[in-house]
Amino acid sequence: MRKIWLIVKREYLTRVRTKGFVLSTVGLPLFSVGIFALSVGLATHKADHPLKISILDNLGGLASQIASSLNEKLPDGRPRYEVVGSWDRPASEQVAYQDLTRQVRDGQLDAFLEVPKDILSGKKATLHSLNGSDYLADRSIAHAVNNAVIVRRLSDRGVHIDDVSELMNGVDLTLVKVTRSGESEENGQSELVQLSIVMILYITLLVYGVMTMRSVLEEKTSRIVEILASSVKPSYLLTGKILGVAGVALTQYLIWACTAGLISAYGAAISSAVLPGATPPKIHLPIAYLVYPLVFFLAGYFLYASIYAALGSMASSDEDLQQVQMPVTLILVACFIVFPVIQRSPNSPLAVALTLFPLSSPILMVMRITVQTPPFWQIALSLALCILATLGMIQLSARIYRVGILMYGKRPSLVELLRWLRYT
Amino acid sequence: MEAIAVEHVTKRYDTVVAVSDLSLHIEKGAVFGLLGPNGAGKTTTLRMIMNILAPDEGTVQVFGQPASSRTQDLTGYLPEERGLYNRMKVREVLVFLAALKGLSEAEASVRVHEWLERLGLAAWSEKKINDLSKGMQQKAQFIAAVVHRPPLLILDEPFTGLDPVNATQIKDIMLDLREKGATIILSTHRMEQVEMMCDAICLINHGRSVLAGDLRAIKKSYGKNTVRIEYTGDDHFLDLPDLIEKLNHFGAMVEAKLRPNADPQEILKAAVERGVRLSRFELVEPPLHDIFIEKVSEAHA
Repeated sequence: MRKIWLIVKREYLTRVRTKGFVLSTVGLPLFSVGIFALSVGLATHKADHPLKISILDNLGGLASQIASSLNEKLPDGRPRYEVVGSWDRPASEQVAYQDLTRQVRDGQLDAFLEVPKDILSGKKATLHSLNGSDYLADRSIAHAVNNAVIVRRLSDRGVHIDDVSELMNGVDLTLVKVTRSGESEENGQSELVQLSIVMILYITLLVYGVMTMRSVLEEKTSRIVEILASSVKPSYLLTGKILGVAGVALTQYLIWACTAGLISAYGAAISSAVLPGATPPKIHLPIAYLVYPLVFFLAGYFLYASIYAALGSMASSDEDLQQVQMPVTLILVACFIVFPVIQRSPNSPLAVALTLFPLSSPILMVMRITVQTPPFWQIALSLALCILATLGMIQLSARIYRVGILMYGKRPSLVELLRWLRYT
Repeated sequence: MEAIAVEHVTKRYDTVVAVSDLSLHIEKGAVFGLLGPNGAGKTTTLRMIMNILAPDEGTVQVFGQPASSRTQDLTGYLPEERGLYNRMKVREVLVFLAALKGLSEAEASVRVHEWLERLGLAAWSEKKINDLSKGMQQKAQFIAAVVHRPPLLILDEPFTGLDPVNATQIKDIMLDLREKGATIILSTHRMEQVEMMCDAICLINHGRSVLAGDLRAIKKSYGKNTVRIEYTGDDHFLDLPDLIEKLNHFGAMVEAKLRPNADPQEILKAAVERGVRLSRFELVEPPLHDIFIEKVSEAHA
């Protein structure tokens, strides 16, 4: 046991001290914080100053109605639209049009809205501006024009103006996700969260699996494995190595989880400090989103690491490694690629099968939990199957490993591999 | 007590029999030479003694116990293929390896420091293995084999890659360790080293022992059938096919293996007749080199 501990310690310390580890550990949270800040910035950026617009109302009586509908505010609290110098049924449409066009060209106005005389019968309003396409501005102005026209049509049919505004009272669509514990408001991020969790699982399983494999090959090519084997049982060596790399992965996870927790708790404060007045997107991370990935990562890591370690012991060079690892890496990639199956129909037979099968369950079960939490027995069964498969795989790997580390040269064929398993 | 008792051991890989019905007995405190051509099964044998491999048949005992993870702590190993963790510091690697052999890390630290001093590597202890020269890496590797004071030291080609100064230093340390009671197994192709250092040998070929026992007794059994001659002048005096079975030229010296019952005086006479000036004429036991070649080619024939 003491010897396993020594191996774990060496493996852990030499890896945690590398530049690569520090970079990836610090880099990923920095990167995601950067993305977060950027998305907050973009979401609140819309326009940094109020848009000065004017309304040329050739019909008459609509300008004030439209202006009152343009009541959006900027993040900093100023009104988004400033309606100035409107023309209500001008004496000469021509003169008013030319005057407003000149003002836009000179920069005194950002835009002017031209309401045609026969707008009630379906003619379209026109927005004249220098840059032509500000999607968000277009949308709210169109909305305001629409509103005003409908109000006018209704009141023309004898509906009282106050009733009209009541009738027109905004109905908005809020997305609500039904979860086991109740309802929680959906703000379009859960898909992002799902994707990031699956990404992180996929990347870490791959990175740490491959790290274990490389570590085995490194000891083989540097020939130190012969000295190690003269001091420790190969199965201890293998166990120590897998645990040591697991420690590295857990350290990284812990740092990331703390960062995620901090962003979740203080994200609002941070973003308002950076961009005063902004309303940041709320990030809601249920604790299950942290616990399940961790549990399944560990189960998946031990499974894949023991496979990768066995592969590493079969190889004698980097080229060998590329070839022997290919099938396993492809399985991991496939798990990542099929995630839309789970996302679209998390309870289909295929989804259930994929989330129970040990090689795919570590990634896909977590995916499924975040989409729609399956019955607990399925989660437990999936985990149990994965652990069983891992225990079996570690036995097999240890048998391959103890022969493989002493073999140099040609990669073993499948037949040779089966013989290795039978060696005493 | 015997340090090592290998009894009727057989080890197969797939269809190849690496070691076949091999028995070895090594006295405690001896320097034992394990010899044989490439691929004879030496490394497999050593690995079984160190419990890296288990024999398919037969038993291996180390200091009276069956080879196991417990006996592993009693052995120190310098493998022929050298290697340490290239990106770790010299001191860290050595402390790690010593701790794996059962020393506490504190004790390992102290011993590693002593050895680094003794071999003149103290200034390099915080350098990475990669930064050391080949010779220094060899010495570091040697420290890894001896730092835990193993009663059994297994050295595979310990002198390759060392300059004469370093080789002498390592040789002196080996003899010093033997003096202190260590048993040493030396596996090498350098026969002159074996003749200088070993008390007993075992020559294996195709996984079988073809010659084993006390080195002096073995050489004596061949008798003084070889003449070493140093001379200046015409070398035709050595054209004596009736007397001389084989000639080995070493530049300044010639070794002539005599036919059975040949009288070495005849060679001396021929030299005098031809007017060759002799500076050396010595009747000796055959060199181990010749015995090796004879035994190995016998098996091939």
